Amino acid sequence: MSIAAKPSSALLIVGHGSTENPDSSTPYFDHADEIRSRGIFAEVYCCFWKEEPSMREAWYQIDADEVYVVPDFISEGYFTQDVIPRELQLTSPTTQVRGKTFHYCLPVGVHRSMTDLIVKRAREVAPDVDPAQTTLIITGHGTGLNQNSTKAIRDQVDLIAATGTYAAVLDAYMEEQPFIAEWEQMSATPHVIVVPFFISDGLHSFQDIPVLLGIESEVGAAASQREVFRQNPHHLRGKTLYYTSAIGTERLLADVILDQVSDFDDLHKSLS
Amino acid sequence: MSTASKLRDLIRSGIHRIGQIELLTEIGGFAYVLCHSLDAELVTEPAFGGLEVHEGPANARDLSTYAEDGTYRFTKGQTNLKRGWVMVLRNEEDLRLALDQFYPACLSLFLAQQAGTLEIETLRDKLNRQTGMYRFARSISDAGAQKLIQEVCGPAHQCAKKILWKIDPQTPLDDSEASRFNGIPGDLPESEAIPLICREACNHFVAECRKAAKAEFEAKAVAG
Repeated sequence: MSIAAKPSSALLIVGHGSTENPDSSTPYFDHADEIRSRGIFAEVYCCFWKEEPSMREAWYQIDADEVYVVPDFISEGYFTQDVIPRELQLTSPTTQVRGKTFHYCLPVGVHRSMTDLIVKRAREVAPDVDPAQTTLIITGHGTGLNQNSTKAIRDQVDLIAATGTYAAVLDAYMEEQPFIAEWEQMSATPHVIVVPFFISDGLHSFQDIPVLLGIESEVGAAASQREVFRQNPHHLRGKTLYYTSAIGTERLLADVILDQVSDFDDLHKSLS
Repeated sequence: MSTASKLRDLIRSGIHRIGQIELLTEIGGFAYVLCHSLDAELVTEPAFGGLEVHEGPANARDLSTYAEDGTYRFTKGQTNLKRGWVMVLRNEEDLRLALDQFYPACLSLFLAQQAGTLEIETLRDKLNRQTGMYRFARSISDAGAQKLIQEVCGPAHQCAKKILWKIDPQTPLDDSEASRFNGIPGDLPESEAIPLICREACNHFVAECRKAAKAEFEAKAVAG
């Protein structure tokens, strides 16, 4: 989808960030760089919950009077529905905050174009594998705190399953059933592709899940501190396993951010 | 006036430092040149004195992510910025992009403070908004928080930010090197540097509050 230039507006990309993992915020800055290079917005910024600049500091950075806020999160849940609106003082899709107009877009992970990114990632990691002999597992964190957090993944599973490309398309989680640690039991095919539905190759996708999959016996160093990226495929538990990097590290995610801005305009500005 | 234009005016007024970065103008055909303040003399030598040259702001984040010894700089206020590099920039827009990576939001916070529009957030406000495992941080005592500031903040603990917040609206910080620090590392007059401003406790401090709060809780349990 192409987006019209917004030379008087700023884009604010919101991420989680980490005080412990330096790779956690890299994708957000990559997405910001990509969008900035296209010259669509007057200004492009990132802000974070657990990193600098904070969401409350970001307001001071912005010169423009109109700001599009896109949560670079994979699901709608506690952060996108509670924390971000509270921190940025957003009370409706469009809110006036101390003289600026903020438009609050939906998070990237719930956009329909994520489906193409997942399929692209799966094809790239296992180009020579027959999809009819392959189970595709989309994996996320999962939490009992908010049912919405897994909805984005279940929606993607349904969309890809409906294409009939893969023998099976499943969802699995770190901390709720079905557990990703039991990947081989839920897969009837000889080949399994696991795509982590996270924004960054941070603690969960690069350090925790490989242990749950059995690729590694203990939590390893951060992604940027490894000399060699893991080599696929892994022959484990009687199957051939392909594990991709987090979906958010895909540079094309910048397009999904812009898609969410376009969708916001289509939905809300047409009404005004 | 844009933030980039305000930055240009600050530099014209004599500002040449932010954090550990020296800000030079009109060298080698470039409008602005940045380097570690301890490398400033090398910059005026031929070929920038052998410093690694980075053209444009793109590498500012990479240069400031790790310290020389490889440790992650979890807050950019840390006084362990790597040396040995020089960044050459063509205009104040690129300069602003670079500074926003080296010292996130610090330029804008300083401008807001000058304009009288900066809102400060107390420690209690920050802690009371924490979620998940950090929720427990809010139970730290005032005395525990005051002690922690002196153990975690300030230049003695590698942070060069000027703390503007209080514990709560009625409780200022106890006097200490950390609470007195003006946000300008090195002995520069305040008219020559943009101070690094701490308008809200950082997430590292929040994490330390959580640890201290748990220690207080366990100590009470043992005593009780």
